[in-house]
Amino acid sequence: MTHSTPPPSTPTPLLSEFANDPEMAELIESFTSELPERVQAILAAAGEGRVSDLKRLSHQLKGAAGGYGFPTLGEAAGRVEDGLRAASDPTAALNAIAADVRALVELCTRASTGKH
Amino acid sequence: MDPTTTQLEDARPTVLVIDDSADVHRLLKARLKQEEVELVSVTDPREGLSIAASQTPALVLLDLDMPGMDGFEVLRQLKDTPGTHHIPVIVVSGMTSMQDKVTAFELGAVDFVCKPFEFTELRVRLRSALRVHRLLQMLSTRAQLDGLTGLWNRAYFDQRLSEEVSRCARAGRPMAVAIADCDHFKSINDTFGHPAGDAVLQGLAKILRRECRNSDAVCRYGGEEFVILMPDTKPSDAAAVCERIREAIEAAVWPRHPERKVTASFGVAGTSQATPNNPAAFVDAADKNLYVSKKSGRNRVTMTELSPSLAGAPAAAA
Repeated sequence: MTHSTPPPSTPTPLLSEFANDPEMAELIESFTSELPERVQAILAAAGEGRVSDLKRLSHQLKGAAGGYGFPTLGEAAGRVEDGLRAASDPTAALNAIAADVRALVELCTRASTGKH
Repeated sequence: MDPTTTQLEDARPTVLVIDDSADVHRLLKARLKQEEVELVSVTDPREGLSIAASQTPALVLLDLDMPGMDGFEVLRQLKDTPGTHHIPVIVVSGMTSMQDKVTAFELGAVDFVCKPFEFTELRVRLRSALRVHRLLQMLSTRAQLDGLTGLWNRAYFDQRLSEEVSRCARAGRPMAVAIADCDHFKSINDTFGHPAGDAVLQGLAKILRRECRNSDAVCRYGGEEFVILMPDTKPSDAAAVCERIREAIEAAVWPRHPERKVTASFGVAGTSQATPNNPAAFVDAADKNLYVSKKSGRNRVTMTELSPSLAGAPAAAA
């Protein structure tokens, strides 16, 4: 198999655990293709301090990602959600989870179907 | 309704999935493709409640954390509503604290599956819940059937009668009840033996079922007495059905005693227009008419309209 060599700046792709499961191919495809949109929404919610939106978005991603074979992504989303739930003050919450949001976004940008 | 065509044999039971995440619906659709179930997907909890009531699925998969209405509240309402309280519910949730699990079971969930799910686990738990549901349904249907004839039994009739009478009363629909009694049954038993008597009861049941419509409930009332519940039916039409049954019984040839005919007497009572909400009045009047048929020579149908004054009578003074 010949793959075009990715440019050095491209991060290591994160592959679905179900990448070889034909029953899942189409679903993983649509999940990864919709991820940039989700990332945008998460970044916007975090940037604008909309805590409840951010909680909902991360909660949904936590539930979904594992199902598509991206458990680490789901766990990262879970850390964002838990951080938000644990904090009593919204501003403090956003500061406390800033690093978790960055980690989540980073994983999202790496998620790939494994096909190019 | 015919006991042989209940949902027991439902080859593809409906599974209602209530979850606000579109991803969950997509994943379940793919992962449960091989299962013999019909998936109905709903993202709005309130819509989920109304679909549960209208479609009475064999199973509900219910998320807990949903905007608008908490999954626990959905579960509470499902279990508090007579039409849905028997539907098994598997809670599927990312809220996996011990307290959440305890609450789910206390509210009546049959199982709890954590998200993100292991689909293999979900599949086997789903199958197990459906299997138990099917057996419970079978048991509850069995408890309403008469063992000898396979017709509905008296307990079923009593329950269904009050339901249908109140429905027809609300909707301003006609309604009729017919009681049939085998003539000289004791002498058939005494002459040809109890197995022959049982065969007569089974034969009568077969004729009744064949001649009645699916919307009628044919029940064994006890001994050699049968009762037919005919919702949305005028007493004159009910009497015509009974006349047809009477002729069929009279014409039947009985293998155990071809020389001996069997006949039955009928009492019919009902309302042509608005039905009074008084279940006992139907049975009493039909019974009186049966007595009239017996007294005036048997093998006949006697029918009366229920008196309109019953409309104001207190319900069920049985």
